[in-house]
Amino acid sequence: MSRKENTIRKSYRRRKILSRFMPLLALLLLFLSFLLAVEKKGYRTDLYLKIIFNETAVLAVVATGAIFIFTLGSFDISLGAATLFSATLGILTYMESQSVFLMIFVIFISGILCSLTSSLLASFFRIPAFVTTVAMMSVLTAVSTQIITSRGGALGGISIPSGLLKPLDTPYFKLLLMALYIGIAVFIFNFTKIGRRQKFIGANPLCAKLTGIRASRYTIIAFAMAGLGVGLGAFLTLIYTPSVTSGTAGSIGMNIIVAIVFGGMPISGGADSKIYAALIGGFSYTLLNNTLKILIEGNAGYGISQMVSALFFLLLVFITSMNYRSEQLPR
Amino acid sequence: MQNSKRERRKHKFSALIRALFIPFLFAAVLSLISAANGKAMIPNRSAFHNFVIYTAIVMLTTMALSINLNSGRFDFSLGAMALFSSLIAAKLTYAVLGGGPGSAVMIFVLSLAAGACLGLISGLIYVLLRIPPIITSLGVTLIYEGAIYTITGGRYVMEEVQNASMAAFSAHAVYALIIIAAVLGLMIYLFNYTVFGFNYRALKEGQKVAVHTGIKEIPNALACYAISGGLMGMVGFMNAARNTNINGGNLNFSSVGIMFTAFLPMFIGSYIGRFINTEIGFFLAALCMSMLNSCFAAFSNQINASAQAIINALLLLLFLIYLSNENLLRNVLQNTAGKRKAADHD
Repeated sequence: MSRKENTIRKSYRRRKILSRFMPLLALLLLFLSFLLAVEKKGYRTDLYLKIIFNETAVLAVVATGAIFIFTLGSFDISLGAATLFSATLGILTYMESQSVFLMIFVIFISGILCSLTSSLLASFFRIPAFVTTVAMMSVLTAVSTQIITSRGGALGGISIPSGLLKPLDTPYFKLLLMALYIGIAVFIFNFTKIGRRQKFIGANPLCAKLTGIRASRYTIIAFAMAGLGVGLGAFLTLIYTPSVTSGTAGSIGMNIIVAIVFGGMPISGGADSKIYAALIGGFSYTLLNNTLKILIEGNAGYGISQMVSALFFLLLVFITSMNYRSEQLPR
Repeated sequence: MQNSKRERRKHKFSALIRALFIPFLFAAVLSLISAANGKAMIPNRSAFHNFVIYTAIVMLTTMALSINLNSGRFDFSLGAMALFSSLIAAKLTYAVLGGGPGSAVMIFVLSLAAGACLGLISGLIYVLLRIPPIITSLGVTLIYEGAIYTITGGRYVMEEVQNASMAAFSAHAVYALIIIAAVLGLMIYLFNYTVFGFNYRALKEGQKVAVHTGIKEIPNALACYAISGGLMGMVGFMNAARNTNINGGNLNFSSVGIMFTAFLPMFIGSYIGRFINTEIGFFLAALCMSMLNSCFAAFSNQINASAQAIINALLLLLFLIYLSNENLLRNVLQNTAGKRKAADHD
């Protein structure tokens, strides 16, 4: 091997290691910056950590489920709307039945059904999955808004009694739920043929088809996993705030994409997909936003902090995607 | 020779009929529904002006979305670009003219220019960073939304766009009609009769081959972003005139909704474009959406915003189901007709 080849190989390996550990490094740096910012302003660290955890829990859980869909090279923009819909149906069920178990059951079932409807529509009618999810997003948001405004008024929203899920509003219980779901997701994604085949389909659908893998089966599994995440996300939302308005979980749909990319996963899915990207990315994004909000005070601070976090996001993606550069412009 | 000319004329006529089928279907069905309930789809002059302005807004948004989306470049920042360009234009115009005569023209020109610049910036970020356009557009959306919020403090901008000049624009359909005609003409010329258009189509159909044949992809992509931004600048201006305000409080992707409204007309327009021309297809699709919007307005007491969103989404799904299964449907119909013929023959 020539010296030049050796140098190129070394540089490639260095870049690969950098892009692999960059998201984790960024998370650590952001966490330190956050702690410094809280310390500097003299705020209570434990309180802020709780806020960060509560803000991220829903996003991380829903985004972890979404990774199964993104791995296939597919896209789902309706997950935020599905979270709102599941939470709305859950509250509605409680209002009608006064049963907590029935409410939780409805939340999870509706989450899974919402997600499966998108996948079934896409695979049965052969519509591009992304457009199906755009339509689903409109329908789910509109139906939820209709229920919320007709049952609770436009501003007030609908709610369950505040003490109903309050005993569950502890970090340990939420951590347990998150660990359980993410544990199952990691196991399926990294240690079963489901995950391997999903990565294969995402990387090369034609090749996967020629080797006998049925993409529709794995698409349904992916959407079902995402639906489970939606259900859990809706449940965690209700534990944190027992009421739902038409704006609940509104930004989750887009933040999922940001979190996944922030966590170092390529948006095109495939072999380089990482199940933990949602967790790392979700926490990084929330930490970044909150640190900037602490540092930049005042009303305009919201705007400035969003701009700075967007620039940081683009920079991080630029660094982590250095290995995926092609001759043509990426699409 | 005579025969081939006749054939060609017949083919053109058949294509025209097929292109006009969907708009006529929309007009017939919506007029019938309105008439059956004792209402008119466009009851008065003001409703007509609104109809034309809405047609222009939908047509421009659809074109802006499709320019990049057809080339595989997803752009979430269209809504933020429309808002930001109209905000810059409104602020500058107010500083110069103070809401006096000529404000609308100045806001329009500045909004168009600002939109093109914002589009170009978005394109430059994409070209320089070389990361997937969907990710770039997420970042750009957040940056533009943040900038709008910082400038406005999250409040509505009203004083700058509430003046006689702006009111005159939304009170007369003729200005929107001029915009529709000018943009349509320019887009048809640009995408069908120029080197840029030929390159655009080559890159759209086969990026790798086109690049290897020497087509310069980067200038083409930048031009696409600038055109798309310019179109959204005009949308921003028209929305400001129509709503008499600019919403400065959009944060965390709340401006992306505008993009999703263009999906249905984009698919309808692309379908109509098979028979006539894609740009005219977008115009006819925008006409359909505007008819639907006028019908919703006529039934505003019965159909609320949520129901409208559901109807639009269902229409999108139904149309896509048809588009994706068109060949299958045609085969089934042909087989049924063939079987019937065979049975008749027997």
